Amino acid sequence: MFISHTDVGDNLREIVILGRLDIPGTESVAGELEKLAAAPKKGIVVDVSSLKFLASMGIRALLKSAMAVQERGGRMVLVVGTNSSVVMSLEATGVNNLIPMFKSNAEAARAAVA
Amino acid sequence: MHNGIHTVKQVETLAIAASGDEIRRASEWLTTALRQRDVPDPQVACLELALHEVLANVLAHGGSAARAEPIHIRIEVRKKATTGEARVKVRDAGIPFDPTGAPERTPAKTLAEAEPGGLGLPLIRRCSDWMSYRREGGRNHFMFGARWPKL
Repeated sequence: MFISHTDVGDNLREIVILGRLDIPGTESVAGELEKLAAAPKKGIVVDVSSLKFLASMGIRALLKSAMAVQERGGRMVLVVGTNSSVVMSLEATGVNNLIPMFKSNAEAARAAVA
Repeated sequence: MHNGIHTVKQVETLAIAASGDEIRRASEWLTTALRQRDVPDPQVACLELALHEVLANVLAHGGSAARAEPIHIRIEVRKKATTGEARVKVRDAGIPFDPTGAPERTPAKTLAEAEPGGLGLPLIRRCSDWMSYRREGGRNHFMFGARWPKL
């Protein structure tokens, strides 16, 4: 698993997660995701477009971070690119209706700070 | 031979312990086994996800009995000339649980009212063309499968 981030100006943080968000993968990055999403930025973009696998535990970690960001007045969105398996996991659980998802980083960044 | 159409049936089995690393091993095993049998990629991906969620449920909710004994997984691939079906059976010694009878969760409409649990069953349902369950010999026997081509 791999997680990294880039701060873009004062308002936006972009987080990238690679690998498999199955049980071991989620356990290895969930704490870091929570910390990175807690940054005092208005917008948080999480790029999951290159994930190889997104299970319920990974979705739960994304959801918890999005809820925490919203509670402090920010907005978290996802970049899914053309990753059909990630989109399927998010749609099957209805999480696509709770965390906005976008195909491109540019669209996601605009929405996160809007 | 049945009605002049040859059906190929292939079976493989695996036993794992109830842990996250073992569940990953089962995912990799399933994916390899299905690909070796030319199961189409969308069905492989779906069955891998469904198996992960079934095993994660056993690990999270099966209790100490589930963790004390191996979980047995069996896959069966049946193919005809242009159609096929892959079946996955999971047998565990955990607390009785029938995923086919579990109530559907009402999806939250907003992030504020969302609860971050109960996401596994919708994935299993989405990724399976059918499911069946029975409790027998003190064990859960859960089966699910995917067919192709999709109509």
